[in-house]
Amino acid sequence: MRRLRILSKLAWRNLWRNHRRTAIMLGAISVGVWAMIFMTALTQGMVTEMIRDGISALPGHVQVHHPDYRDDPSITNLIPMTDTEIAATFGPAGFSAWSSRIKVPAVITSERDSRGVTLLGIDPVRERDMIFVDYDEVEGRFLESVDDRGVVIGHKLADTLDTEVGKRIVLMSQDPDNDIADRGFRVVGLFHANVEAFEETYVFAGKKTLQNMLRVGDRVTEVVVLGEDYRNVEDEYAAVLALVDGGVEVRRWTELDTYLGTMLKVMDGFVLVWVIVIFLALSFGLVNTLVMAVFERVREIGLMLALGMKPGDILGQILIESMLLLVIGLGIGNLLAWLTIKPLEGGIDLSIVAEGMEMFGAASVLYPQLRLEDVVLANVVVLILGFLASLSPAWRASRYEPIEAITKVD
Amino acid sequence: MNLVLRLAWRNLWRQPRRTWLTTGAMVFSNVLLIFMISLQFGMYRLMIDNSLQAFTGHMQVQAPGYIDDQKIRQTVPNVRQLAAALRQELGSETIAARASTFVLASSEERTYGIAVYGIEPQFEPQVSSIPGLITAGRFLDADDAAEIVIGSVLARNLRVSVGDELTLLGSGKDGSFAAAVVTVAGIFESGVPDIDRSVAELPLGLFQDVFYMEGSGHQVVVNAPRLSEADTLQSEVEALLPPGQDLVVQDWDALQPGLKQAIQADMSSAFFMYGILVILVAFSVLNTQLMSVLERTREFGIVMALGLTPGRLGRLVLLETAMMGLMGVALGALLGGALTWWLGVHGFSYPGMEEMATKFNLPARMYPRVTLTSLLAGPAVVMLFSLLAALYPALRLHRLHPVEAMRAA
Amino acid sequence: MTAVRCVDLCKTYRQGDQDIKALDHLSLEIGEGGFVCLSSPSGGGKTTLLNAIGGLDKPDQGEVYIAGQRIDNLSKGELAELRLRRIGFVFQAYNLIPVLTARENVEFVMQVQGVPAADRGRKALDILAEVGLEGLEDRRPAEMSGGQQQRVAVARAIVSRPALVLADEPTANLDSKTSDGLMELFTELNEHHGTTFVIASHDQRVMGYAKRIVRMLDGRIVDDIQQDAA
Repeated sequence: MRRLRILSKLAWRNLWRNHRRTAIMLGAISVGVWAMIFMTALTQGMVTEMIRDGISALPGHVQVHHPDYRDDPSITNLIPMTDTEIAATFGPAGFSAWSSRIKVPAVITSERDSRGVTLLGIDPVRERDMIFVDYDEVEGRFLESVDDRGVVIGHKLADTLDTEVGKRIVLMSQDPDNDIADRGFRVVGLFHANVEAFEETYVFAGKKTLQNMLRVGDRVTEVVVLGEDYRNVEDEYAAVLALVDGGVEVRRWTELDTYLGTMLKVMDGFVLVWVIVIFLALSFGLVNTLVMAVFERVREIGLMLALGMKPGDILGQILIESMLLLVIGLGIGNLLAWLTIKPLEGGIDLSIVAEGMEMFGAASVLYPQLRLEDVVLANVVVLILGFLASLSPAWRASRYEPIEAITKVD
Repeated sequence: MNLVLRLAWRNLWRQPRRTWLTTGAMVFSNVLLIFMISLQFGMYRLMIDNSLQAFTGHMQVQAPGYIDDQKIRQTVPNVRQLAAALRQELGSETIAARASTFVLASSEERTYGIAVYGIEPQFEPQVSSIPGLITAGRFLDADDAAEIVIGSVLARNLRVSVGDELTLLGSGKDGSFAAAVVTVAGIFESGVPDIDRSVAELPLGLFQDVFYMEGSGHQVVVNAPRLSEADTLQSEVEALLPPGQDLVVQDWDALQPGLKQAIQADMSSAFFMYGILVILVAFSVLNTQLMSVLERTREFGIVMALGLTPGRLGRLVLLETAMMGLMGVALGALLGGALTWWLGVHGFSYPGMEEMATKFNLPARMYPRVTLTSLLAGPAVVMLFSLLAALYPALRLHRLHPVEAMRAA
Repeated sequence: MTAVRCVDLCKTYRQGDQDIKALDHLSLEIGEGGFVCLSSPSGGGKTTLLNAIGGLDKPDQGEVYIAGQRIDNLSKGELAELRLRRIGFVFQAYNLIPVLTARENVEFVMQVQGVPAADRGRKALDILAEVGLEGLEDRRPAEMSGGQQQRVAVARAIVSRPALVLADEPTANLDSKTSDGLMELFTELNEHHGTTFVIASHDQRVMGYAKRIVRMLDGRIVDDIQQDAA
């Protein structure tokens, strides 16, 4: 403890002896750490948005389907339970949110044109906070009940179909016997979505209305459950598994959309790789600075050894000096990152590359996300690797022969 | 060797460890830059080629507004004749006419909404890779046969195979009800999930009959021999469009807007990363050269007293940096080139890449390709920034006073 | 009781392509309370002998005893401990740690030894006053003259009252007045505290203060004179 105090004092004073060099090194470390955290926050923000949008497209962290539905998303592959049974099973299970739906491919036709869409029959009351549509932002109105007779479509789809609120469209799909099931609807609302493709793809109708149109009685194609945290849905997964028997397939969202599921893992890996790459680029400068610092101080180090300091103390002193440098650099870097990310948390407008972001599956507004665990990761990696990188110059310093060091002349 | 060069070179090796560490930072960045840039641009190339070759083509002649709405009424009149005229005028075979709409396709067991394209069986193989990707049956051959080719996923979803019948229901150009019964002639597998799931092709003649097109279509696809020649070709095509008709030529960027922007978005994040790497190297160089100048204060004082100007000394410092930079470029290009070349031959993959890659029409294994640009672009920038970083220490020499400098320890 | 005993020391250096015998079968005994000046021309071996006595350098052959304890076979750590507790050093130059003030330089050794802070501070101030540096305690080495720096070094060497002080050319960078002051300080310490001094120097003035002068040439003792204090 006592030695630590002396060593720290010496290390601290030595750090500021060559203030230019220290300042340059601090600049490098700060920029590096800032870049680590800033880039990570942007990436995490993007991934979170992508996953949130992705999940809101699927929606549901854990989903239950007929075993053949995923390969063949057709009305013939209904869940072998009635919706009433499903409600009786899932209702009391205490999920934070769950719902059952009909989800089938369909063709929507206006008097002008037709398009292929994904038709969703939902319970609008239950799904209010589950789907990506904000009911209050809908032009016209959103669906009001399971037997609402209207449909809600996206703005973009309405444009291509040349239709609007109040006009009629026809939806065509098939019933379980592959007879054409079609029905006219009145467009009651137009929704906006973060991701433009959603506006073209999704059409919402009442669940009961669709059940009648498709002649499936009290049956649905999927049950979805939302968890508290999309990053970990194991509890919900286990709970759902316990509720259903073998006649259905239960899947986590990471399995349903492997792109997004993998994205989460790949991005976590990317963050670590990025932090390490930056550190390596920094490490050359760090080692260089220490080597120079040691080289300039050969005589003093010799003197301290001659006066009775142990080699271990010299090692410690250089390591402390390096750690001080890193800690200050980390402090400035973290602060810079915080200062630059905070004002951007309201969102960075990327609409000039909106369609490109959409191709990645991301929205055109990027919300950087400063996560504590990423900041901790960056700091810990820098400290640990920095310590390891400093060992060699520190070790060399401690191995000086006092006599040679003192008598060294340049 | 010139004396100044020799002096600069020897000065570098007065502190071999420091020189190596600084060069090491350069080499590290250069290797990384070479690898990343090779990978990145190879990937963009593949993304563009795979996306455009399958179906879109380099450019399309369309009615204005079709690109946004794709309404069946937004037509190109006499599309077949226009395509023929363009083929003749440009002396190119890679031009074909198409029409398209959305229909409800029913097999015996299933019904799906799909996009159907009317194509010219004779010319379509010149502009799209789909005709060459037939895995069962054959591609269309007669211009008015009641036949269809569909994607493999769609075939599976519809539960049909070659020889089965499909009923198509949709609306014609005038909004009237349109229907046809067609036989599945072939099934293709492009590997692009979106295309395999939702695209079907009919002969253009049949399409025009069924959907009351009256000789019109929706697009004339034009391919240039190479993507880089697309711009020139586009102006030629524009000049050849029949006067008085309201038509536009859409380039690939407009046709697949996501593609270029995805590349731009990816590029901007990549360039941010490269920028940071380069800045960190510059810091390293600044540190080293400043130290090396400060150490030599006394020495510089002596040579200045002997009559050397600060400008010449500054050039010496820059020369030393340039030498270090050249070593960094040489070693970096050697190591980076070798590493990237090796990975280019053997390919590499990382966990999760397969899922990511299919989203962008990319193969699951990456084969970065080293080009002269990818080999030299990164190192050149590193070199440039190293020299910029050395400017400060070099210019500091102007503040040096010979007498004081000589007295310095 | 002998403070220092050297038996049959040999040490050879290579300089260029020549072997230089810095110590050539040298034996020497110094009693407690001695005030010895080792004198030789440059390269005569006095610094090598001083370093061997201080455990900074290992002889090729022979034995070194400090207060009866053999030290030439000790480990680096044990030697460090020995120097820390029992020997004070004054070098020719580069005596002080540049980032520490005069007072901190003096405290440094005590701090490493583990002397409590309050004790340390008082002792440091006392000893700096004793060597005539009152008022300069908070200056850093760069802010002091060569003589002042050398006095700080002496203060540091004697502050923990070591039985033995080794000084290598302590007056080499000082003017004659400052040199006299330093030597008087040494003499006083020698007489009042019984501290043994071994000083390597070819400065006539230093020799004038010494009780015993050992002259060396080519690594051997050529002359060993006891003289009365001046």
